[in-house]
Amino acid sequence: MKLNPMELYNLLPKTNCRLCEAKTCMAFATKLALGDVSPDECPPLLEEGFQEKLEKIREMVAPLQSAAETGVKLDESKCTGCGNCVVVCPVDVAAEPPTSEGKAAMGTATVFRVENGISKIINLEKCRRFPPDRLNCRVCEQYCCTDAIEIW
Amino acid sequence: MKDLVCNGCSLLCDDVSAEIDGAEVKSLGLCRLGHAHLSESLKTLTASAVIRDGGKEDTVSIEEAVKQAGEALQSAKQPLLYGWTTTSNECIQEGLVLAEHLGGVFDSPVSQGTIQAMSHDIHSGKLDIDLEYVRNNGEFIIYWGTDPTESLHRHPSRFAVLPRGEKIPEGIESRTIGVVDVRETETMKMANHRLIISIGGDSELIEVLTSEVSGKSSITGPVQGIPAQELLSIVRKLQTSDCTVIFYGRGILNSNNADENLTAIAGLIGAIRESGKEAYALPMFPESNAMGVVNIAGNKLKQDLTSLQKLLAGEFDTTLVVGDDALAILPGPAAKALAQTNLIYIGRPGTFTDKKAMISIYSPDVITGIPNTMTRLDNQPFNFSAWTRDDVSEGMLGILSKLNGFVKK
Repeated sequence: MKLNPMELYNLLPKTNCRLCEAKTCMAFATKLALGDVSPDECPPLLEEGFQEKLEKIREMVAPLQSAAETGVKLDESKCTGCGNCVVVCPVDVAAEPPTSEGKAAMGTATVFRVENGISKIINLEKCRRFPPDRLNCRVCEQYCCTDAIEIW
Repeated sequence: MKDLVCNGCSLLCDDVSAEIDGAEVKSLGLCRLGHAHLSESLKTLTASAVIRDGGKEDTVSIEEAVKQAGEALQSAKQPLLYGWTTTSNECIQEGLVLAEHLGGVFDSPVSQGTIQAMSHDIHSGKLDIDLEYVRNNGEFIIYWGTDPTESLHRHPSRFAVLPRGEKIPEGIESRTIGVVDVRETETMKMANHRLIISIGGDSELIEVLTSEVSGKSSITGPVQGIPAQELLSIVRKLQTSDCTVIFYGRGILNSNNADENLTAIAGLIGAIRESGKEAYALPMFPESNAMGVVNIAGNKLKQDLTSLQKLLAGEFDTTLVVGDDALAILPGPAAKALAQTNLIYIGRPGTFTDKKAMISIYSPDVITGIPNTMTRLDNQPFNFSAWTRDDVSEGMLGILSKLNGFVKK
């Protein structure tokens, strides 16, 4: 599921009040779309007159808040073992820093590792889409040139 | 797991490992192409040979096969020694010596485009930078007439698109990617600029970009079907990126106007540099040691680029094919002409050339642990070393040395 930050922005109070961590309402909308923040973190949105918009936003971002409604699937028949997912995954880069420089993942701490010519998800539970992060990260899907990775 | 260097393509990945577990090979980091190459290569850890005559095939010793191959080559009126792009640098050197002893013609698939590119002013035989430099500095990356997703799987993730580098702190977020091709390619999925142009339209587009980068307002409407706004956006990026790298491939070289295309790319690189920014062009040759052939045999190959014409004219009566599956990669008429010669083959079993050869000598590939050297796409040498087991028999170099020894006698 991909949320459009502009759609979320149009439902916000657009006051740029700086009462939340984001510097602007647009930045807050972007964070909402990624699942990085909750709509309840916008104080003006909790004020009278915005109930309908607040409910609408809550409805839109609800899938991002539940790990049960997300998943990552890798179709091995489409995978070329290019390693794009390994290098671009933020968890992999933190778990095995040489992957950030394009090196192959050699350890067991990454989300992805290319084994026998095909990428495997070896630690799905570390994916940032799942708790505790619950982020709407989908960079692996975005940079998989053969569409082998599917996120829902 | 043991570290190794992969020669499944010209990237020569050296950050990978593998182990043999019974009849199975397990690898880490090797792409699908590399793993398949390794698995196939491990089936030939011992050199062997067969001789075919009238539909009959006999297994013979290496010594016997070398003797018969040597005699056939010595008695040939004009032998052709062809292939070499998947062999080691040492084998290429040995092949040149053998060609000299025989008075034969040394040739390779690199004669079809690769050698012309490396001889062009854009390179003049050498490259300005290597792939590590691209990883650390490449801000605007353009793949032109090449689709690494199909042929050099790890090129984007290891060097050019996704990895972080000294001046590329955020990886892909710090780079801009452009892909130019005559069709929609898988690599385009990663690109900020996706340009699909007509066949043969490369130089027109490059020249328009060059003119605009040089300050002449030449873009007033679509070029090659690309809207002016998109082209001007690319020009702005070319003018503002600290380091632009154009990776050009077969689409540039095999389009009947390779020289015109390369000249146009050189012009664009020059225009960007004149504006005070860094710019480079690098080739995308997929054959694992094309650069080794260029470096070691390039001068000889450049002297005579007519061997395919001679082959078509029936001037060669005997051919030694080394490493490459010549019958699979040559244009149809040339392949047919090659098949008419007395064919001797040294390489891995099961290729078209092997099946058609009167003498086939099967040798372990360097990836199995033959201590030889190959040259990466960006001219960097890589050493292979033993990693499998102690009983890997002599590789191609040993067989070529024996053939040379026989011919010298």
